[in-house]
Amino acid sequence: MTGRGDVIVVGGGVIGASVAYQLAKKGRKVILAEKGDFASGASGSCDTSIFLQSKNAGIHLQLALASAELFKGLKEELGHDIEYHVKGGMILIETAEELKVMEGFVARQKKTGLQVEIIDRREAAKLQRGLAEHLVGSTYSPQDGDVNPIELTLGFAKAARRLGTEILLHREVTGVIFAGGRVEGVETAQGNLFAPVVVNAAGAWAPLVGKLAGLELPIFPRRGQIMITEPVAPYIGQQILSASYIVAKYNADKLKDSKDRAVQLGVGLSLSQTEKGNIFIGGTREFVGYDAANTHEAIGTVLKNALRLVPGLGSMHIIRTMGGLRPYTPDGLPLIGFVDGREGYFMAAGHEGDGIALSPITGKIVADLICDGKSFMDLSALSPNRFKL
Amino acid sequence: MAENNETVYICRCEEVTREEVEQAIREGATTVAGVKKRTHAGMGLCQGRTCRKLITAMLAQGRDPAKILPATFRPPVRAVRISEIAQGEEE
Repeated sequence: MTGRGDVIVVGGGVIGASVAYQLAKKGRKVILAEKGDFASGASGSCDTSIFLQSKNAGIHLQLALASAELFKGLKEELGHDIEYHVKGGMILIETAEELKVMEGFVARQKKTGLQVEIIDRREAAKLQRGLAEHLVGSTYSPQDGDVNPIELTLGFAKAARRLGTEILLHREVTGVIFAGGRVEGVETAQGNLFAPVVVNAAGAWAPLVGKLAGLELPIFPRRGQIMITEPVAPYIGQQILSASYIVAKYNADKLKDSKDRAVQLGVGLSLSQTEKGNIFIGGTREFVGYDAANTHEAIGTVLKNALRLVPGLGSMHIIRTMGGLRPYTPDGLPLIGFVDGREGYFMAAGHEGDGIALSPITGKIVADLICDGKSFMDLSALSPNRFKL
Repeated sequence: MAENNETVYICRCEEVTREEVEQAIREGATTVAGVKKRTHAGMGLCQGRTCRKLITAMLAQGRDPAKILPATFRPPVRAVRISEIAQGEEE
């Protein structure tokens, strides 16, 4: 162990691991410091979806499309089975009002280059059994997919290690070392680490890591609760969301004014089925600080919502629940780029629920920006300096 | 079940062998959750009722078992029908 490198990555979630891998691929000596184990935050407590349809048209969707391209050869590239599949996906629409919102959403996504359309209930029922009678229809895109998020994180980390990355688990960063306004390294309880670039990839904990450098980052933990069924025969044929999920995702401010408890909890349906057969049923979007616990109320509310939309799930059993903290940002976009006034300090956090889907492309653009100063597309919209830090 | 000594199942639900748990520990797992992430031990129908203790013992070799971080416990305690939970919400 040398404790010296070109880049220190703080955080061993899917983003930190992907960033470390891509930097190592470019020949950089990377040190990854993680306060717990790999995938201890959101990366280990989320569902499996790689949804392109849930992204807003524009840069968000462009990134997701570029990420989807990288996912294609990733299993071979990493030498690790990440359980990636392109399955298609649908967003269930319940009312004429939602249909109107989704028509606009879909039209804008088409312009960004996503293959997506709106289908009626009959067509939707051909793709997915067990749907409620009252549905108006759904969207459909053949491009959505899924992946095992923990295997993805472990796969990136393993490949990074093979390329010479020094991985330090159970190594909490407790300070950032500056000299003349320039980053020199970080402090940890087990000794200092030195590198001219430090990447804050600590997800929902990024604001706490940011404080060590005197930064007030606009990233807030947002809890998502998910329920998991026993393994069952193939039932969910593609990724599924509800239109209310999209509403909850992009209208955080409006949720708290509602009188409906399900709306306050940010409940929106998400369904996916793993290779082993477990169905993941989501989820909530709640601001409760760093409390990742499951609540009786949310479990009941999420499952009631799921049954209302897909009654066919009723006879299945829940064996486990999860609660995870997603790194929310006020404009729904991650913070990616160097921070003005802290030379060498780089942000790569704030993906909320899109971290898994965007992890391959995030690693790539972070490595591009650090090594070459630019990437294949204009990323100024993601710059952390768009906020007053 | 195979008769050779190497095929000892630690987690029966997910069919995780002793060898796989040992491999996970070699790869850096120091907690029950760490082993679970790397092997899926404890992710099955019984949610680690048996393997949790066996894995703690394997992690503890040479160390104080009291210092091994326990697995995270989350509801439900046993498998529950979705329709029953949703029914409870109506009342």
